[in-house]
Amino acid sequence: MIPTEDLKKVLSIADEAMIENPDGTIRLVATECRDCGQRVFPPTEVCPECMSESIKFFELSEKGTLYSWSVVHAAPKNWITPYIAGYVDMPEGVRVFAHIVNVDPEILSFDMPVSVCKVTMGLDPDGKSIESYSFVPSMTGEN
Amino acid sequence: MREVGIIGAGMVPFGKYPQRTLAEIAWPAVKAALEDANVPKRDIGAAYCGTALGGMMSGQRILKTLGITGLPIVNIENACSSSSTAFREAWISVAAGIYDVVLVIGVEKLTKFGGGTLPLEKEDFEVAHGLVMPALYAMRAQRYMHEYGLTENHLAKVSVKARAHGQYNPDAQMRETTTVEAVKSSRLVADPLRLFHCCPSGDGAAAVVICAADKLAHYGGVPIRVIGSEINSGKYMTGFRDMTSPEITLRGAAQLYEESGIGPSDIDLAEVHDAFSIAELLYYEALGFCNKGEAGRMIDQEETFVGGKIPVNPSGGLLSKGHPIGATGVAQIVEVVRQLRGHCGSRQVEGAKVGMTHCTGGGISGFDHGVCSIHLFAR
Repeated sequence: MIPTEDLKKVLSIADEAMIENPDGTIRLVATECRDCGQRVFPPTEVCPECMSESIKFFELSEKGTLYSWSVVHAAPKNWITPYIAGYVDMPEGVRVFAHIVNVDPEILSFDMPVSVCKVTMGLDPDGKSIESYSFVPSMTGEN
Repeated sequence: MREVGIIGAGMVPFGKYPQRTLAEIAWPAVKAALEDANVPKRDIGAAYCGTALGGMMSGQRILKTLGITGLPIVNIENACSSSSTAFREAWISVAAGIYDVVLVIGVEKLTKFGGGTLPLEKEDFEVAHGLVMPALYAMRAQRYMHEYGLTENHLAKVSVKARAHGQYNPDAQMRETTTVEAVKSSRLVADPLRLFHCCPSGDGAAAVVICAADKLAHYGGVPIRVIGSEINSGKYMTGFRDMTSPEITLRGAAQLYEESGIGPSDIDLAEVHDAFSIAELLYYEALGFCNKGEAGRMIDQEETFVGGKIPVNPSGGLLSKGHPIGATGVAQIVEVVRQLRGHCGSRQVEGAKVGMTHCTGGGISGFDHGVCSIHLFAR
């Protein structure tokens, strides 16, 4: 479980769904119900299965698999287009919506391994950069 | 529960009316429906107005222009299913004997947002991370193409069909026909979806008048009977949902078929929620018009064209007719009324006796769709 004070260090739009390690790497954070075991991403304060408020945070794995994706050319202003939107299935049983970055979309394939990383996704209306998690195809040999 | 019939229907051509207010867009549709129904305004027991982004008191703003005030007016928001939900609630009120005659309005003015993708709820986590409706449908399309061998040509043909039908609908926003090649060379919106795979944004309004069957004699005319009404919310799923299978439509259709005793083979035409070309194909399967994986073959063999086995979206659908979101549910019903009356000219489904409307609404994390409402009608 991640101490609450660590979660508060995160000031990106992912809020408490992401933590940054001292070495600059990041991990996604989900919640699990202590009563029924239901897992949810992003974190919730009440279990959507049994309504228990006894919830613990836990870190998701670094890697997941790419369920589907799309190169998005039309988005609200402030987003840097085109960007790749995708759904990543995590071994812990939750699906994560994410941008897929630093990759030629031509080489993406279904169910390929992808690893979490941090990225600047766009600018907010005040010109501040929007930071959050994203995924990048895992390096060959590390799968 | 009492039998309920539709006795009046009207709509305004969908398009862009940035200079008109919501009320100015909508009143002609309401007046047309009331005149079609031959109902004096004093007989209206209540009004239900569906709009997603019309703002507070949309129904009152519209109806004051026609002096229809002092009655219960209920405004309903349920995303793209706002006015199909309004219709469902109106139907319940008449079937339950609360009112005899009820007015249902669907209305939206999207030009006030200045174009682009539909504004979604920013509090939603995925929306905050850049999820837009075209991207969501595009990811469904990608996965479906991967699993079932659907091609870009299949997708394009849905748009070709929509325009082929819509050219004959004076209320449609996009009336020029198109070709597979033109669809495939239109600009990319969210790969593999291109501009012509996406419904146009715009403004519009539609209205119907419903009446208890035992009061029909007051107004004359032949009613279109409501023979099935269903609404569901989506199931919230945190895990690995199958995006090739629209669970809420599958569940709703099964429930509706069981309750009504009508099956997919009894349906002569369907107006389905083709916000994007891939959506229509997924709904062929979910509504039982074909088996899983056969949607591509179905459009390829033109079974869903007017003249085919089960014409889908003879109005042109959202792709051609346009999708002012809150207006869509009632506009679909207006088309089915016109089809069942035999008033549709070159897009008429010959001998149509049973019609379906299917309207979904989505755009929040963890759901296939947030809402879906399906109705069945007969003459």
